[in-house]
Amino acid sequence: MEAYWEGMKAIAPELVLTAFALLALVQDLVTKGRNSRNVGYLTLVGLGVTALTLLGQESRAEAAFGMVEVDAFGRFIKMFTLASLAVVCFFVMSDRRERKHGIGEYYFLLLGAAVGIFFMVSTNNLLLLVLGLELLSLASYALAGFHKGSKASAEAALKYVIFGGLSAGVMIFGISLLYGLTGTIDISEMARLSGDGTPTGLAHQLGQSPIPVAVAVTMVLAGFAYKVSAVPFHFWTPDVYQGAPTPVTTFLAVASKAAGFGALLRFLGVLFVRGDAQQLVADYGTQVGLLIAVLAAVTMTVGNVSAIGQNSLKRLLAFSSVAHAGYLLMGLATMDEAGFTAAMYYMAAYYFMNLGAFGVVLYFEGVTGNDDIESLRGLGRKAPLISIAMVAFLVSLTGLPPTIGYYGKFLLFTACIDGGLTWLAVVAGLNSAISLFYYFRIAKNLFLKEAPEGPAPAAQPMLTGLMTAFGVATVIFGIYVAPISDWVRSSLDLLG
Amino acid sequence: MQDTLLNWIVFIPLIGMTVVLLTPKRSVGAIKLISLVTTFVPLVLATWLYFVGFDKGVVDYQFQFRTPWITSETSELLNLGVFYHVGVDGISLPLVWLTTLLLFIGVPASFGIQKGEKAYYALLLLLEVGILGVFVSLDYFLFYVFWEVMLLPMYFLIGIWGGPRREYAAIKFFLYTLAGSVLMLVAVIALRIESGTFSIPELTAMAMRGDLLGTNLFAGGMLLGMKFTTWVFWFLFVAFAIKIPVFPFHTWLPDAHVQAPTPISVILAGILLKLGGYGLVRACFPIVPGAFDDFAFTLGVLGVISIVYGAYVALGQTDFKRMVAYSSVSHMGYVLLGVAALTEWGTNGAALQMFNHGTSSAAMFLVVGVIYDRAHHRDLNGFGGLSQPMPVYWGMTTLAFFAALGLPGLAGFVSEAVTLYGAYQANDPRFRVLVVISVIGIVLTAAFLLWAIQRVFLGTLNEKYKDYPDINAREIFCQAPLLFLCIALGILPYLLLDWMEGSVENWVAGMNQAIQVING
Repeated sequence: MEAYWEGMKAIAPELVLTAFALLALVQDLVTKGRNSRNVGYLTLVGLGVTALTLLGQESRAEAAFGMVEVDAFGRFIKMFTLASLAVVCFFVMSDRRERKHGIGEYYFLLLGAAVGIFFMVSTNNLLLLVLGLELLSLASYALAGFHKGSKASAEAALKYVIFGGLSAGVMIFGISLLYGLTGTIDISEMARLSGDGTPTGLAHQLGQSPIPVAVAVTMVLAGFAYKVSAVPFHFWTPDVYQGAPTPVTTFLAVASKAAGFGALLRFLGVLFVRGDAQQLVADYGTQVGLLIAVLAAVTMTVGNVSAIGQNSLKRLLAFSSVAHAGYLLMGLATMDEAGFTAAMYYMAAYYFMNLGAFGVVLYFEGVTGNDDIESLRGLGRKAPLISIAMVAFLVSLTGLPPTIGYYGKFLLFTACIDGGLTWLAVVAGLNSAISLFYYFRIAKNLFLKEAPEGPAPAAQPMLTGLMTAFGVATVIFGIYVAPISDWVRSSLDLLG
Repeated sequence: MQDTLLNWIVFIPLIGMTVVLLTPKRSVGAIKLISLVTTFVPLVLATWLYFVGFDKGVVDYQFQFRTPWITSETSELLNLGVFYHVGVDGISLPLVWLTTLLLFIGVPASFGIQKGEKAYYALLLLLEVGILGVFVSLDYFLFYVFWEVMLLPMYFLIGIWGGPRREYAAIKFFLYTLAGSVLMLVAVIALRIESGTFSIPELTAMAMRGDLLGTNLFAGGMLLGMKFTTWVFWFLFVAFAIKIPVFPFHTWLPDAHVQAPTPISVILAGILLKLGGYGLVRACFPIVPGAFDDFAFTLGVLGVISIVYGAYVALGQTDFKRMVAYSSVSHMGYVLLGVAALTEWGTNGAALQMFNHGTSSAAMFLVVGVIYDRAHHRDLNGFGGLSQPMPVYWGMTTLAFFAALGLPGLAGFVSEAVTLYGAYQANDPRFRVLVVISVIGIVLTAAFLLWAIQRVFLGTLNEKYKDYPDINAREIFCQAPLLFLCIALGILPYLLLDWMEGSVENWVAGMNQAIQVING
């Protein structure tokens, strides 16, 4: 009984989230879709309560027979998820194009996806990881197709399902190989030295032949690459981002991607980098790092080059998010503490600038009725505040100082050069220059083009206010970096 | 006040920007007044600094201010050792003063602008912060931040208030500079990891001792068969060369200049180009002196190509502004040639040339602006006989042009002569050939400037322009200080040289010594 309660305590935040997800569904059912805003408020409360539970948790614990790990790293991704979900909820509430009925399911699916993320980032057990990942994926498929009448939305959902199913299959096959090779499903066991000092698990296998391990690791990486939309598993991204409702796109671009990176970081960190990893395994990890470095270089280049020709804002941001997956992978490629810290900082930066950018897109979609870049012409003068905030996000996405995106990139570059991947830093630098070109097409249309005749867009004070705050934060945290970097630093505790 | 003086100079425009942003859009008069005041105060402070505060006898940085920015006591990983560190020496001080002057002139020169005044003046003030910040930064991280901060206002200033092809010109300017500066960022980080510091004086001191060869970062200091220092050198050089701009990185310049509104052209030619030259002297050559020595002749050749090619292309222009833009390419070539020679005269000449080109090119762009405001075109062949309706304007133009073409008695002559003299003294005898070739540039410069005067002011008066009013008081107010400097520094060049000499001599001696140490 004692152990049972201990286990419950370890997954308390997940339980709270699940309870609120069900509550949202019930509330919508009872009120029959009237006053859908209240469901939104309930969801926000749920997120707040979950955050409190999370903060009240023990700093480090293990539960459910070692399946659930409670640690600072998991808490970092979870807080990140909650913070992004809160903004996404806010977007749903202020999305003028959102239909009002069935809104309870909307929130239910969002919270359900969050439960998936929570489990996925707080386990060393590959089985639970896959379960969490699938829960997240299932909820995301339904969310992507939430506009049932819309052809684009349906197409997006279908594409997402097919790609998702395929890559999940590949990943699970890879995991089964890993299990077969090492005899355990727990990544912290796979690399650990046996009691008497003989090579076991992965190291034993590597000593005989690295090829099976290479196949297995590559297959698992493919699954993650799909989740974070890294090349060549990114093909779903533009279509899904464009077809899905904008708040859902935001969720996929920020929370879901960060979760993918969180799980990937844990996988690589615990398997290859952790203090008690055997020498053979650590050496092999460096080679995996090289593979990731190549993946990073290709991903950012493909993402940036494809974004140049896009005319749809959401498609453009989709390719931009592919490119940013490439930047984030830079931090993982170094396979050391500095790189992981940089990647986590960049995630935090990504939170501000990408949520901001999507919020602005949502705002302008409400004004113009579409997401065409050309339709932004001259709006900079009609809606100055939110447009200036957009410039801050664009500057940050490009990676120019003094913004949080710049500092994130600076840390990534530093980690890469220090870790012997100077070429990757150069590639990433040139990529920033490429990305400037398409990011500033947005700024160009907002400010440099003359506006067609027409009234000023209706003010949305809440959304404008929030986006302005994000814009200010983007700049402030680029100058005053200590709060976020300290938090990130203390959150990276899985390397032992 | 003493030790925070530079902070005030740099950040008063930022205060101005904030106030401008808080002022209602309609009170254009108030916005203009605030901009005037917040650019005038830094000018006054900088003037005080120049004539009173600065000690000419000290070669080290003065008015230093240093405080931790991104450091950490708890984590080695987060302790990046970034300091907010500013200071001036004899090389940067004249440029700081010139910046405050040109930005102050830039405000009344912008009074003709009719749309979006609030945003315009806010961006202009932000631009000043960026430029001044670069000139006073002694920490490479800070330097880089300021370097990038000025790009954004420049993009919008060209892109919103520019000519017909402004969008193209604005993004071209932005992309060129950014492509260079990302290379700079990579080099800066590599230097930081190699040396453990971002401080420019410390990096310089290490390099002068013959350290900083990349041996910590790469085995034997070699990367892909090339020396670490060579990589760093070229990365930094390209970043700064784009800004100068040196052939073949100059193609953004004519577009940016032609499309930018007059006051922005003035600032672009007058100061922004100097950032490139200053960057080379402050933050590139002294940090990798060995690589500089290896490629000094190549740099000299690039300088001479810029001199001759810029002048030759200017000769072929029919657009008044484009012609002046190419003349900048030519004149900035002297800076590179002078520094590459690594003699005291050459470097002094280069520093003088930066300042004098700042005044003469700014004056020339103001000249173009005056006629463009009246005729709304800039076709050199479309004018003629303007000396009749606008005699004062003619006089001022001629003075500015003569200063630019190096007429003895005016500023341009002194700096070009000193530069060429210094380049001739270089240890490498091949520089003498370069000096001889660059004389072609002087002849071509005289040719295109005199030909322009002839086409615009002499000949038969075009009836259309008969009633043009002469240059007005506001325009004279902007023009006069620049022309005054052209004359004054032509007669009394020591008004600059005395301030620069100490730092320049120290710089050259340090470079020579470092090269000796490195070459054994």
